[in-house]
Amino acid sequence: MADVSIHGLAKSFGPVDILRDINLTVEDGEFVVFVGPSGCGKSTLLRIIAGLESVSAGEIRIGGRRVNELPPADRKIAMVFQSYALYPHMSVYKNMAFGLKFAKTDKAEADRRVRQAAEILKLSALLDRKPRELSGGQRQRVAIGRAIVRKPSVFLFDEPLSNLDAALRVNTRIEIAKLHQELGATMIYVTHDQVEAMTLASKIVVLNHGRIEQVGAPLDLYRRPCNVFVAGFIGSPRMNFIKGEVRGISNQSVTIGFAGAEMKVDLSGKDLAVGDMVTVGIRPEHMAEQGADAIALEGRVDAVERLGEASYVYMKLASQDDVVVRAPGEAHIAAGDLFKAYFSPRSTHVFDAEGRSLRMDVKP
Amino acid sequence: MSTTSFETTAPLVAAPARSRLPLHIVVFLAPALLIYSIFSIYPLVDTIRLSFYAGDQTGAQHFAGLDNFRMLLSDPTWSGQFWNALRNNLFFFGVHMVVQNGIGLGLAMLLSLPRLTGGSVYRTLIFLPTMLSVVIIGFVWQLMLNPLWGIAPSLLKAVGLGSFFGPWLGQESTALITISLISVWQFVGIPMMLIYAALINIPDDLLDAATVDGAGPFSVFWFVRLPLILPTLGVVSILTFVANFNAFDLIYAVKGALAGPNFSTDILGTFFYRTFFGYQLQVGSPTMGATVATAMLIVILIGVLIYLFGIQRRLQRHTF
Repeated sequence: MADVSIHGLAKSFGPVDILRDINLTVEDGEFVVFVGPSGCGKSTLLRIIAGLESVSAGEIRIGGRRVNELPPADRKIAMVFQSYALYPHMSVYKNMAFGLKFAKTDKAEADRRVRQAAEILKLSALLDRKPRELSGGQRQRVAIGRAIVRKPSVFLFDEPLSNLDAALRVNTRIEIAKLHQELGATMIYVTHDQVEAMTLASKIVVLNHGRIEQVGAPLDLYRRPCNVFVAGFIGSPRMNFIKGEVRGISNQSVTIGFAGAEMKVDLSGKDLAVGDMVTVGIRPEHMAEQGADAIALEGRVDAVERLGEASYVYMKLASQDDVVVRAPGEAHIAAGDLFKAYFSPRSTHVFDAEGRSLRMDVKP
Repeated sequence: MSTTSFETTAPLVAAPARSRLPLHIVVFLAPALLIYSIFSIYPLVDTIRLSFYAGDQTGAQHFAGLDNFRMLLSDPTWSGQFWNALRNNLFFFGVHMVVQNGIGLGLAMLLSLPRLTGGSVYRTLIFLPTMLSVVIIGFVWQLMLNPLWGIAPSLLKAVGLGSFFGPWLGQESTALITISLISVWQFVGIPMMLIYAALINIPDDLLDAATVDGAGPFSVFWFVRLPLILPTLGVVSILTFVANFNAFDLIYAVKGALAGPNFSTDILGTFFYRTFFGYQLQVGSPTMGATVATAMLIVILIGVLIYLFGIQRRLQRHTF
């Protein structure tokens, strides 16, 4: 078992910077998820940790040991690929035992480990099959088995669920979470799906344009996003953003006008001046059809998405802002209706003109 | 015949009109079948028929059974030449399998290196000789290797290897291997292209996975890439085999139909040519020629059958 620490890491392909100034510590036994939109550099970062890509600058340590110059096999890591990358000409057994052959593991010990991993992953009956005879979920388990048998300090997962269908994805997600509990190993997991990130991670790393935007526990990121990007990326449907303006600043609170409404929020106003432009963020689930809360936004309903347990109401305000509200599943709302959404100022997020959160309890 | 109630129900009335005369199938097959029959199947069958006949001085032909084959395999005037040609042909094939396909595999591996720059230039240059006429290739190499005015002796001398030079195309001991290597030089682009296509078809993830599993470059090749391109290597081998046992042009261009010196470069193609058309003092014999041609067909057929039933069945094509 080992921790992973990354200092001042940068990677560029020719003139293109893929990653810039990455500093990150992954504690021993932690489940860290790299999440971000495609092209943000999350897979490259994972491949750098694996040793499949070189770095342009910076240092990587696994278990306290500098690994920059070590080949992948000597880093005590194992990787699960998006495409599973099973050797199509080898049986399940040989696929899992392949790495052990090069680690010079004793034959009997290798056999024991493969069978044990097969047991854990319910693959025992399939050991003689070729990958093409397996279903997607089974292939996925073989890929995980191939990682387990090597007893790595760090598991690396590169979008391992994106080739599975929705139902299987949920199952496998739970399997991976269980696996993490059983093995207690350090795991680093890359995904573009924020639901996977929220459900699996003990720590989420949000990446965008080759930079780390924020690092924190899932609920921390959800409650206290440090900027507009993280606020919009974490949570589904995404947070509503409405342009607003600072109307007044007093001790410990700021009055903001937006979309025809006005609210007083507890913010430090020291970096603000009256007339500054801000962005107000409200999550769809923090708005309700009715409520005692003071603030309301009124608009015309464009569309209603009914999911059963909830309905998403898409409405357009008089200020032309689009707002999504999570309403109860049975709400009697139809497109074309006038709709009023209530929310508490305490559940809003306020971002300055550069997109940084102005809330006092937020740390990047 | 007993009829069941199913057969007497209504749909039966309409069905025969469609199933009895699949006219469109006949129409679509006819052109290819016709051309193939006239230009390929008929000559093949007629050649085999002719090999069972013998001709006399008047040109009349009579049925001779297997006499021609008996003569070809055991009569000293025929069998010596036949076995010599077959032996040379096997050697010719062996050189292609080892050198041409070996180098082709190596070049394909080099071309598939991710950091190679100018790969498409090399690919084009190496493939270029394949598109040239064999006659030109033969002529150019004959000039280059010429001991009197060729460029080879002076080139070797320039790098201090002058003493190694010999009249390679003129010596009985070296003529066949020299010709084989000229052919290898010309056609190495074909296995290279086929193997290259198979190699780039292997997903990068698979090679990365093997690297993470601890396989070095050689192990990745031996345990992952090679098994995955085996089907292509099989196809390359059988193409080489068929092409080599049908070869004729290069040897005819460089050494003429006598495949000298002293028949040391004689292969089945040149042997067939002399037998069928005659050459210098030898009188051509259509029936013996047909016999040689049939023997060649049998040799190739045996090779292809061994491949189809012995090798190809064990090779698994992999989809990724």
